[in-house]
Amino acid sequence: MTARIIQKLRVVGVEDSTPEVRVYTLEHPRKPLLPAWAAGAHVDVRVADAKVRQYSLCGEPGVQKRWQIAVKREAAGRGGSAWMHETLALGGEAMVSAPRNNFPLAPATRHVLVAGGIGVTPLLAMARTLAAEGADFTLHFCARSAALAPLLAELRAVCGPRLVTWFADEGRRFDAALIGPPAPGTHLYACGPQRLTDAVRAAAEAAGWAEPQQHYEVFQPTLDENFKPEPFELKLASTGEVLLVPADRSALEVLRERGFALPSSCELGVCGSCVCGYSEGVVIHRDSVLPVAARQDRMTLCVSRARVAVTVAL
Amino acid sequence: MSNPVHWEGFEHPAARIATEVAGGATGWHGTLLHIHIAEAASFEMEELTEANLVAGRGIEGDRYFLGTGTYSPKPDVREVTLIEQEALDALSRNDPPLQGGPLTLTPEQHRRNLTVRGVPLNHLVGRRFQVGEVILRGGRLNFPCKYLEELLGMAVYLPLYNRSGLNCSIERGGIIRPGDAIRPL
Repeated sequence: MTARIIQKLRVVGVEDSTPEVRVYTLEHPRKPLLPAWAAGAHVDVRVADAKVRQYSLCGEPGVQKRWQIAVKREAAGRGGSAWMHETLALGGEAMVSAPRNNFPLAPATRHVLVAGGIGVTPLLAMARTLAAEGADFTLHFCARSAALAPLLAELRAVCGPRLVTWFADEGRRFDAALIGPPAPGTHLYACGPQRLTDAVRAAAEAAGWAEPQQHYEVFQPTLDENFKPEPFELKLASTGEVLLVPADRSALEVLRERGFALPSSCELGVCGSCVCGYSEGVVIHRDSVLPVAARQDRMTLCVSRARVAVTVAL
Repeated sequence: MSNPVHWEGFEHPAARIATEVAGGATGWHGTLLHIHIAEAASFEMEELTEANLVAGRGIEGDRYFLGTGTYSPKPDVREVTLIEQEALDALSRNDPPLQGGPLTLTPEQHRRNLTVRGVPLNHLVGRRFQVGEVILRGGRLNFPCKYLEELLGMAVYLPLYNRSGLNCSIERGGIIRPGDAIRPL
């Protein structure tokens, strides 16, 4: 539940990495350096109608003069990426938040990174950090073809032989079972389409990887077409007031209507902006941001619900 | 976005009481050091070399003038907010030692509009004073908020307690610039 500073950054570079993916380079119009960030971090970018989209930073982590984000134009998306491709041009202004990191590198002796398509962006930043540290890592990169694989030249330069490509048009398809059994000190990271992260998760679990050794980031809502929302009561810890959350509305919406100025960003359960403490209730967690250990006392107000009632720390 | 509703400074209960009793501070002479505004909640503050203050509304371009601030939906005295440079200097000396160590809170970070020196803000609730050609009315003491801590990633709540500045309304508008004299009326 963190509010973050929004900066008006200048677009100082626009480059097409593939026919679908455009890389934007951003810098502050007045400040020589941007806030520090670590590999795996993402920023919010404001798009049309005051909506925001999340993009992982994919340039060199640390304190830098410039940031880079790669934006894939999603024809079937919610319109944010199309807006960016059409509107954000060289010399233009982008409203970009300070970074947040839900997908950090863990202290480990070996790192296995699995990327699918545009999901490679946070993993490229991780590879930069790991390569600079001389760490032991492998990056598996799945895409339809080399021509459609975003940031491929950068990945090759950073990873060298530690990059393993899986391009469908070459008949090479990534089998998640390749990750094999867990080894002490090895951590697994996957980012990409949900079917890829689901496959990696299933293979990791089948092979006996412990939950804390697995790290996933998915910038799309958890798919669960059979979920049927039920109304529930939201009790405010500070005042005891009880608010009813109808089946067709979120806890976040109801709290906002009651006058709470709550932060939120993706409203899909992936960014973690609206995470809030809770007690005394059974929460139906529907987000993809909170680790299992955090779910005992924290919930994501935009998508998660409760059975009958829950008390929130507000 | 809601229409900004501002209380005139002396409508605030704290100011109303203060206007009816003797007190306040006199004989001081202060200076305006910095002017900062932000166009909406959470936006980085931007420094101005001059600002247009509009009576009953706020600083042109600022979030509380536009009704885009974090607290804009809640009617209050916040056309313009001030903070003492002396308080920021004290934080940088870890004085009093309420936190782990010295805190650097720059004029751009604290999110108050005007950074001033030599102005006893805590004594100006219910008092009128002049900044350049503009006349302000002290409405209530500003209070540190957890939102600022989150935004800065810095524990400033306790260190700013009781020296978080003054929220004012604008009785007479006009142009102000850093370097303008501030004096009691």
